[in-house]
Amino acid sequence: MLVERLKKSIINGQEQDAEEAARQILNAGMDPMQVMERELFPAIKSVGEKFEKGEYFLTDLMSAADAMRTATRVLASNMKEAGRGGMATTRMGRVVIGAVSGDIHDIGKNIVALLLEVNGFDAHDLGKDVESMKFIERAAEVQAKIMALSALMTTTKPAQKEIMDLLNETGLRKKFLVMLGGAPTTNEWAEQIGADGWAETAEQGVKLAERLVKER
Amino acid sequence: MTPPWRINEVLDRAETGPICLEKDFELKVLVPKLKEVINQYEIKFDPEYLVPSDDSLADDLWKAALDLYLAVGTLCTSTHRRILFDESEIREAMRNFPGRYVVGYGKDSKEMLHRKMEDSARPFCLFSPDITCDEELFVPMSMAYLQEPLADGVCAPILEEVEGRSIKTGAPYETKGAIAHAMMFREAARRVGRPGIFLQGVGTAQSDAAQIAASNTVWGERLTDGRFVASISELKVDHSLLNKMVHFHQYGSFVGALTGPMLGGYCGGPEGTAVVGAAYHIQGLMVNQAHYLNYFPFHIKHMHNTTGELLWGISLVYQALARNTPLISLSNGFAAAGPCTPMVLYEAAAHGLVSVVSGANLWEMAVARNKYKNRATPMEAKMACEVGCGAAESGIKRSEANELVRKIVSKYASQIPEAPLGKMFQECYDVKKAVPAREYTELYRTVKRELLDLGVPFAY
Repeated sequence: MLVERLKKSIINGQEQDAEEAARQILNAGMDPMQVMERELFPAIKSVGEKFEKGEYFLTDLMSAADAMRTATRVLASNMKEAGRGGMATTRMGRVVIGAVSGDIHDIGKNIVALLLEVNGFDAHDLGKDVESMKFIERAAEVQAKIMALSALMTTTKPAQKEIMDLLNETGLRKKFLVMLGGAPTTNEWAEQIGADGWAETAEQGVKLAERLVKER
Repeated sequence: MTPPWRINEVLDRAETGPICLEKDFELKVLVPKLKEVINQYEIKFDPEYLVPSDDSLADDLWKAALDLYLAVGTLCTSTHRRILFDESEIREAMRNFPGRYVVGYGKDSKEMLHRKMEDSARPFCLFSPDITCDEELFVPMSMAYLQEPLADGVCAPILEEVEGRSIKTGAPYETKGAIAHAMMFREAARRVGRPGIFLQGVGTAQSDAAQIAASNTVWGERLTDGRFVASISELKVDHSLLNKMVHFHQYGSFVGALTGPMLGGYCGGPEGTAVVGAAYHIQGLMVNQAHYLNYFPFHIKHMHNTTGELLWGISLVYQALARNTPLISLSNGFAAAGPCTPMVLYEAAAHGLVSVVSGANLWEMAVARNKYKNRATPMEAKMACEVGCGAAESGIKRSEANELVRKIVSKYASQIPEAPLGKMFQECYDVKKAVPAREYTELYRTVKRELLDLGVPFAY
């Protein structure tokens, strides 16, 4: 029953309820790792699927992610290797994500970051209007597997190329997988500037990240 | 024309208003209040009535939007402060808003005005590709749009390169690109014999510095032209946007507010998108200090606004504005399909009809999900505006428009996720002559005949 309550609170985006249920699960002596792997990860994945189908809106997704983060923080507090207060999402690897220099649009990027998290990635969101070198510095700092670069304007798209140029010229290109997204970008653009992949939608972005990690 | 309200008050409030972090603004301020007003005023999407005829529903939407905006205001992300107004200030700005302007100059000048529902006044028709183009196509594509007889104003395509160099926001080539854009567009207008036509600029410039660089009464953006101050989704601005607003007013040109709430984003569903859409018009008046608005709600995944849930919101927002404000707003169509396809012409017709019968002026039209370079032509705008002008002149009622729109939408709604991209400008236009190729002309005639048979009104 406690586990069902926790799952329901996450799917419904009820953060406070999720925290309470997680505490009660610990008090009941249940194995937190087992609860996370068998119950919570599938629950939050189902939230991502609901968003993909159009049954959930962005705010539902954000609320569910907040509830998930809180629940995993509580559960992880009783584990040997506590999480960093996120979703204990290092299973798939770290992703540094942001909207490139000059770009102040971040809703699409926020959705990708959330969906990456709910699908097991550790997303480090640098925000918007991120200076090109900062992507590289941060990716190196957190030992990211992937850099995800969002551009929503045609005039900010060149900043994606600038980052690719910086990676190539500093000899760091092979250290990171690079994926692109954003309204004016296309697969041809990604190929043209030498990125590892492009995704049109947030859901495709997650699938691309999964594929890139597996193929590496 | 003077600004609608006190510019310094807006700037001061951006520095002194209540502190609010961006994430808190979205999740703790905007979304809860939005849900509250939707419930309070019982705003509910009804797929049977894409063009509602219930005046009280339009008034409720307006009350919901006003309540929302009074409580939430606009977040300035540069200062992390909310810019708030009280109702008397909004009423003061509304009361002093003229409701009509003459834009452009000389023989090419046109009147842009506030419209009512089922209004016989011809809508102001702005033609725009809303997309980027190859540098060498900029002039021919601009001329193709500028020479359309229904166009009262035109917005040029956007440059990605200038003199073969990539344009990047904030970098020097953006400034060069903005200046080249303004110069070439002005020249294109003269070449088609419409030197005074209202030009909306400058899409190539994203930054404030590049926008300001394109202001010039001889070769660039003139006082009789229009300039945009955009918003950040949802209900946010920053210093760069406010810089533009200050400059445009002090320079003396017309100022438009560019506003596009996202269905599926922070607004949630069609109801929230409509409420935020109406609230954006208040923000446009008070913060952007706009003389007119460009309104383009869109679907967060498919980048269109031609299906039922969005057309319903467009209709309701314009009815709310028509009944409760003197504001001038241009309804900007976003089609999923691309040029030279029957689908894009159906989408254009539906958008033009819904918008005009509900009280809007027209800004037509972004196509092919507003994503692909060179993929727009004046033919899509022409279809929307022919139908829009026909709707005004015919005196069609909202209930009649509703029946027609439902029939048109049923022709393409299921194809939205896989909408055809169609052709690029250079594939369905004679570029040298800047005229449509025979294939597109014939397709246009076929679709127009089909729509006429359905009972859709056309201007001619």
